[in-house]
Amino acid sequence: MKKRIRILVNREWQEFVVDCNKSLLDALRDILRLTGTKRGCNTGDCGACSVILDGKLVNACLVLAVEADGKSVLTIEGLASKDELHPLQKSFVENGAIQCGFCTPGMILTAKALLDDHPNPSEDEIRRAIAGNICRCTGYVKIVKAINSLVGGHK
Amino acid sequence: MNGSIVGRSLPRVDGIEKATGQAKYVDDLDLAGMLHGKILRSPLSHARIIRIDTQKAEKLPGVKGIVTANDTLKIPFSFPPHLKDKYPLEFEKVRCIGDEIAAVAAVDKDIAEEAIGLIDVEFEELTSVFDPIEAMKPGAPEVHEGTRNNISRKIEWEYGNVQKGFEESDYVFENRFTTSRPTHCSLEPHGALAYVDNTGKLTIWMTVQNPHTVKEELANLLGLASHQVRVIKPPIGGAFGARIMMDPLDVICAHLALKCGKPVKIINSRKEEFYASRGRLPMIIDLKTGVTKDGKIVSREATVIADKGAYNSHGPRVLGYAGKALFSLYNMPHTKFTGLTVYTNNPYSGAFRGFGNPQVTFASECQLDMIAESLKIDPIEFRLKNVVKSGDVAPTGAKITSCGIEECFLRSARLSGWKERQVERKKNRGFGVACMIHSSGAKGFFGDSNLSDSFVKMNPDGSVVIYSGASDLGQGSDTALTQIVAEELGVNFEKVKIVSADTDTTPVDYGSFGTRVTFAAGNAVKMAANVVKKQIFEVAAELLEAHEDDLVAHGGVVHVMFHPGRSLPIEKIARTAYYDMGKPLSGRGFYNGPDSPSPDVTTYFGNTSPAYCFAAQVAEVEVDPETGSVKILNFVAAHDLGRAINPMAAEGQVEGGVVQGIGYALMEDLVCNKGVVLNPNFSDYKVLKAPDVPPIEPILVESNDPNGPFGAKGVAEPALVPTAPAIANAIYDAIGVRITDLPITPEKIIRALREKRKTSKES
Repeated sequence: MKKRIRILVNREWQEFVVDCNKSLLDALRDILRLTGTKRGCNTGDCGACSVILDGKLVNACLVLAVEADGKSVLTIEGLASKDELHPLQKSFVENGAIQCGFCTPGMILTAKALLDDHPNPSEDEIRRAIAGNICRCTGYVKIVKAINSLVGGHK
Repeated sequence: MNGSIVGRSLPRVDGIEKATGQAKYVDDLDLAGMLHGKILRSPLSHARIIRIDTQKAEKLPGVKGIVTANDTLKIPFSFPPHLKDKYPLEFEKVRCIGDEIAAVAAVDKDIAEEAIGLIDVEFEELTSVFDPIEAMKPGAPEVHEGTRNNISRKIEWEYGNVQKGFEESDYVFENRFTTSRPTHCSLEPHGALAYVDNTGKLTIWMTVQNPHTVKEELANLLGLASHQVRVIKPPIGGAFGARIMMDPLDVICAHLALKCGKPVKIINSRKEEFYASRGRLPMIIDLKTGVTKDGKIVSREATVIADKGAYNSHGPRVLGYAGKALFSLYNMPHTKFTGLTVYTNNPYSGAFRGFGNPQVTFASECQLDMIAESLKIDPIEFRLKNVVKSGDVAPTGAKITSCGIEECFLRSARLSGWKERQVERKKNRGFGVACMIHSSGAKGFFGDSNLSDSFVKMNPDGSVVIYSGASDLGQGSDTALTQIVAEELGVNFEKVKIVSADTDTTPVDYGSFGTRVTFAAGNAVKMAANVVKKQIFEVAAELLEAHEDDLVAHGGVVHVMFHPGRSLPIEKIARTAYYDMGKPLSGRGFYNGPDSPSPDVTTYFGNTSPAYCFAAQVAEVEVDPETGSVKILNFVAAHDLGRAINPMAAEGQVEGGVVQGIGYALMEDLVCNKGVVLNPNFSDYKVLKAPDVPPIEPILVESNDPNGPFGAKGVAEPALVPTAPAIANAIYDAIGVRITDLPITPEKIIRALREKRKTSKES
């Protein structure tokens, strides 16, 4: 069964028809061709598909596309402005927090969701916030450093 | 010489594209008319294939093509080629759960999945064997017809006389160690996108570590001329050895593209990544070591039985390298190695970071700790007494050039508080140390060479492009090579771009494996850059009216030594060269070390690598005797990498490697029962998450290798090699029980503590 839905994706309304059994991840990647959000497991275990839905961090593979009808979604593509990288993106690049890069979009959005809610997390709180994002390359050390360096209001 | 670019922690060249989601991995690529493929995998661990009926599946609307072995040339493959035993699509037998039988291409993934379910396969189930010891017994089911005792490869050598050595030893220690089946868990699942154009040329984007060597193999299996195949490695989401050489998925994808006349993409599901991919070779290691009472190792014998699973893949080479690594770290007059890879109907392993070294180093470094304790010698002192030094030839024939292991021990001991550990002993807390050696590239993986070829050109505007076949898997080789060239040419880092890992546009490099890239590709691009530098100096000498030998290039400017006023920006020189003189600025460089003759074919004795990396790691742990859980309080990892081209990137490799090593030590294992992987997902297969990671302090030791580019060797691959034994030794120091079977789970610790209490009660 298909349904026509409207989602505000990265500040732009997108209207399309989608199967009711498709996930938000499927819609973002396969219909809207926003491939920055990654499919690592499709079962909500790895966090590679993390996006911000109506201000809340979610695994896009666990949200039905139709559930996002009328809502706003922020993906990695919506983070940088036309002229400038988001401070988190800059910090990840400058602090060596990126290796293969596959976890990076999800990791950055998780970090954004954390800092939006808690601009001054402790290192422990940072680690717990990204506990749902698996990184196999970095050991998380420089990822935590990159996020930590923005603590104290440099949003 | 202090580098202004080499040695700096510059941000990686592909950082921004990855941070913005612009980097296009295989599953992000899209071609017009693209179909989606799905593989039908065997549900049985051992069965004869009687009949494959694809009729129902073919009739499903949306299905555009189905392939079985009859659509292929039925050519088997493996790595190395002379042990080939795997067909991309099986037609006689299936030998493990997950074995590929057929594949479907359809207009979308759902239809492909449905079609797979409609393919009818008639099997004649055969008895399976899941234990390598059982598999070698007479009467055991034969996994591959004609392979006696299911032994796919036997490697044995002896240097000196171990028996005599044991007789001359004051003490002899014999221990058994058993290792596990962790898997790579690269965050990007394995995938390929294949496309055949109207000239019959196949282009395939793959999650691959070595495009140039895979191209040959692919062409061979598909029956295409090699020049009709183009392999491209886009950005990939991790590899760790999972993507050296081909996977059946790659060939199957190409076959579907050829059959359907449309682009086809196949991406593994995460479940397939767990149960149908090649993890680490599990080993049963029997180690017998003879020592003198003052701590000299005299004689050592190792017997390794490895459960190969259903097919060879890289297994036999992993076994061979394990033997080499085990006997190259310490000097001793008598050594003997016997290794067997044994077929079973378990999922089969391949190459995984360390390539056999983590397994044997676990055994060796744990046993050496036991020996040190028996002899009442400090564990580090004991190792230093026996470890190889610069200029030595190891028992295997390995020629040790740069060797910073002493500094690795010194600095890791100092930073970790090793010396103070005895001063204030805390209950259930302990320290453990372990060290390692690892080849920095080696000859003999592909033919008898270790080749990396590269081109460098400077454009008329002074910008530079590097063409290298080397593959960046995320470890940062593109960035390291860029830094090397920028340094060599004296140009600004931002002005250098790299084109890599495309068989049409880049020269041949054997690939990213065996810790070879910084050394081999680094040397190649440095040589090529040097050629261009000479050309620039030739032109500059004319323009500046100076001698070429008196020129230096730095920061985008060429100036006369000691006369900084007499200088020219490199762009001006380049423009003049191209437009006024008609002199192009482009060069070629290649590397194929070491110079040593190939190892003896029967005795395996010889030097295969141009350089060796070393490391010492110290773990401080606290064990809860009630729950058996292990908390790592601190971890120090000192790695001799020759020279850190990019310290931040090198640290990142050490940190990531240590975390994989902790997983290997404490929790990672594909739990197999009767050939079924019981934990094929991230919920049940435990990898470390951010809150699990202890404080890790990486130390980069620079021993300045005489043959490495700017003194550099590798660091990334072996970062996890000593981690598991360092932790195992620390656990013993903390609670007095030694677990010799990986992973060291809480259950095993509790069981061991109970045994210990029982034995002390009885005595």
